Amino acid sequence: MSSLFRDQLLEALQAVVPLVLAVCLLQLTVVHAPLAMFLQFLVGSVIAVLGMTLLFVGIDLGVLPMGRFVGAELPVKGSLALIMAVAFSLAFATTVPEPDVLVLSTQVDEASGGAIPGGVVHYVIALGLAAFVALAMGRIIFGWPLKYLLAASYALALVLAAAAPPEFVSLAFDGGSVTTGVLSGPVIIAVSIGVSSVLAGRSALGDGFGIVGFGSVGPIIAILLLGLLRS
Amino acid sequence: MISLAQIASIGRGVLIAVTPLVLLFLVFQIFLLRLPLRQVADILKGTAIAATGLFLFLVGVSMAFLPFGRAVGAALGALNGSWLLIAVGALLGFVTAWGEPAVRILADQVEEASNGSIRSSVVLHTICIGVAVWVGIGMLRISYDLSLLHLLLPGYGLAILLLWLSDKDFVGIAADAGGVATGPLANSFLLALALGASSAMGGQNAVASGFGLVALIALAPTLSVMVLGSLVRLKMRKSGA
Repeated sequence: MSSLFRDQLLEALQAVVPLVLAVCLLQLTVVHAPLAMFLQFLVGSVIAVLGMTLLFVGIDLGVLPMGRFVGAELPVKGSLALIMAVAFSLAFATTVPEPDVLVLSTQVDEASGGAIPGGVVHYVIALGLAAFVALAMGRIIFGWPLKYLLAASYALALVLAAAAPPEFVSLAFDGGSVTTGVLSGPVIIAVSIGVSSVLAGRSALGDGFGIVGFGSVGPIIAILLLGLLRS
Repeated sequence: MISLAQIASIGRGVLIAVTPLVLLFLVFQIFLLRLPLRQVADILKGTAIAATGLFLFLVGVSMAFLPFGRAVGAALGALNGSWLLIAVGALLGFVTAWGEPAVRILADQVEEASNGSIRSSVVLHTICIGVAVWVGIGMLRISYDLSLLHLLLPGYGLAILLLWLSDKDFVGIAADAGGVATGPLANSFLLALALGASSAMGGQNAVASGFGLVALIALAPTLSVMVLGSLVRLKMRKSGA
């Protein structure tokens, strides 16, 4: 436990120190922020390093095993429909409460001049994401190549973006970052790796990844469709 | 200084994010998994540690990087010389992605799933280079007021092309890399940087320029990881494998 903590502390330091050094360099050369603000920056950085250390320890001990167990057991005990339902509910339940989604749906509400209520947008984003994550899980089971799914969804997003009102375009593509929950992202990927490593003929490396990335196209398409409905 | 209300709201956010995860796990445990209780306890303990860590991390980030991102952006925007803005943007894009926790978790997951044949440091560097290039381009967009669509169209067009050139194993990793690069650091520090820079340059819609940057950061590592995948495939073909 203590050696795990030490390793993760080193990893967290390695992660944050370059950013802190870059900011210090800019502070000395061009920014010249007040000393109190700079001290707050240093204190905040120390807290962030400690937090990241605990985060990594907890991810290793609890969060990744959680995803791995669920993923490995699902194909054994559950039907196809159940696996996709689990992926859908995991993505939906972890996206609805994300603060990012709330911010984004309020912005879509404003961009539409109040015509599309934020509450509706919120659930449309989460549904879009969950549907695409479930589809990505289905792809692993049926063995569809990821590249066709990605190419088709990118192409659809681009066609919709060319037709949708411009203020929705930047909102929609920012919506692609909604899937980045620091806890939910790794869990969903771990479930998908678990499923791929248990199913015959699938590999953890070639089939396990892509679920979060493909899922993140869902909200983009959902918001663009809302924009088109509006116009 | 960070207010108690802000800390409380971060705490609420983490709690709300972790609750559905734990509830769903417990539902699976009761109806499907039936793991030994010891293992369940370990998983719950680990999740609680992770949630505490995430809370501290977010408090630290909002103390340190949110106000400083804005200050750095404003100072850079006031400088005359967009090349400097692009260079500093690229540097900060690199170190921000370097510090993003979810990027490291993904890189470790890749190393583990590939049994060490794809090193986590390779994935990490590739993602950071991608973000650096596209934050640089994003700063260029702010200083020349380019439309986001003019960057997204060729960007996603290139992504579709690379899907066919890249080694198959890298496609999924590339897609996920786009998802993890836009984590809490990028969303606070780089967003504040873009907002600060575009409002210091004046005349533009600061909010629109700032937010478009997140879309570019999501695209960046997808492209760079697939470029890596294409190089790997090229190398394998040359060596006759």
